[in-house]
Amino acid sequence: MIISRLEFLHRAGLDQETLQVWIEEQWLIPSSTAPDQAFSDADLARAELIRELRHDLGVNDEGVGVVLALLDQVHSLRNALGETLISVRDHPSSSDR
Amino acid sequence: MKDPYETLGIDRSASAGEVQKAYRKLAKKLHPDLNPGNKESESRFKDVATAYDLLSDSVKRQRFDSGEIDATGAERPRQRYYRDFAAEAAPGSPYENRSGFADFAQSDSFLAELLRRQAEQARFARGTDLHYRLTVDFLDAVNGASKRLTLPEGGTLDVAIPPAIQEGQTLRLRGKGAPSPGEGESGDALVEITINPHRFFTRHGDDIHLDLPVTLKEAILGARVRVPTPQGAVIVTIPKGSNTDSVLRLKGKGVARRGGHGDELIKLKVVLPSEPDSELDDFMSKWTPGAAYDPRRDMQS
Repeated sequence: MIISRLEFLHRAGLDQETLQVWIEEQWLIPSSTAPDQAFSDADLARAELIRELRHDLGVNDEGVGVVLALLDQVHSLRNALGETLISVRDHPSSSDR
Repeated sequence: MKDPYETLGIDRSASAGEVQKAYRKLAKKLHPDLNPGNKESESRFKDVATAYDLLSDSVKRQRFDSGEIDATGAERPRQRYYRDFAAEAAPGSPYENRSGFADFAQSDSFLAELLRRQAEQARFARGTDLHYRLTVDFLDAVNGASKRLTLPEGGTLDVAIPPAIQEGQTLRLRGKGAPSPGEGESGDALVEITINPHRFFTRHGDDIHLDLPVTLKEAILGARVRVPTPQGAVIVTIPKGSNTDSVLRLKGKGVARRGGHGDELIKLKVVLPSEPDSELDDFMSKWTPGAAYDPRRDMQS
């Protein structure tokens, strides 16, 4: 589902300025194919994670960037590992090379 | 449900600061987004979050302490965690970061090959499907129409509504979804249809139902009256002596279906004048119904 900037602000409970900073920091990367930015459900869940990191877990702004960068790497690694496992299962011989 | 003090590992006299400290310590360890592959952390985190919700709110905490509410007091209805989205992210997601294993690619030919193939896949990956919702008028849903959808991200989308579309049906518009992150095909736009109710038509399968008010005179003597159908008004003959709840069937005036159309079913409703009518009163007072006319006969015991 595509979420408009206005709806995103409302559903994520953010104000304009905060969202602007988060986007500038690249904590959130909306797809910007259109004049107005478009957000996804994944962006909404990510905004919720950022909010929890800052408010509930006491991570400061510098820390949030570090956590997100590491998390993105973890997820990319997990996805790569998942594909590797599938690839090895489908072509067992290629793992002998 | 466990005791919230026990869940957070604090005693009952803990201050607000200690409650928050205990929660943060556990949350850092258990937050599902910090434990992407660990299902158990989610249920433990839920317990911790519920306990914290209760104990961090001084009013709720007091009510719990005095036994007014139980420990489940406020379970947070939780949507999906970010990790669920990240796990199913298509290659080419803006948050993807492969720098964590870029060095592998140079040292191992098997991995290098695999990563090269993945990069290739990402380049030709299809764009994601976008979901929209469109509300159409009853008659447009029956007869078909062409609608223009204004997209939340800007731009418009022309949607051809085929005749006889149903509530909740989804139209797939090929290639109208998000563009590919690389050079692949665009995704599709999926448009879910909601249908507004009509003032007097209702739809049951392929048939259109309509309650048609008729006058006392039309019901008794019969008449030719104009009746709306989804395709426009037609002249219908009301047979002599039609009663309330009599049903007339207009063949082929319903919703299109394979090999034809459904029917329109007209249910008659005899309606008396809303204002007192002295002529009708006079007439009725002179009229003596026959002995056979007793609509409540079945009710007598």
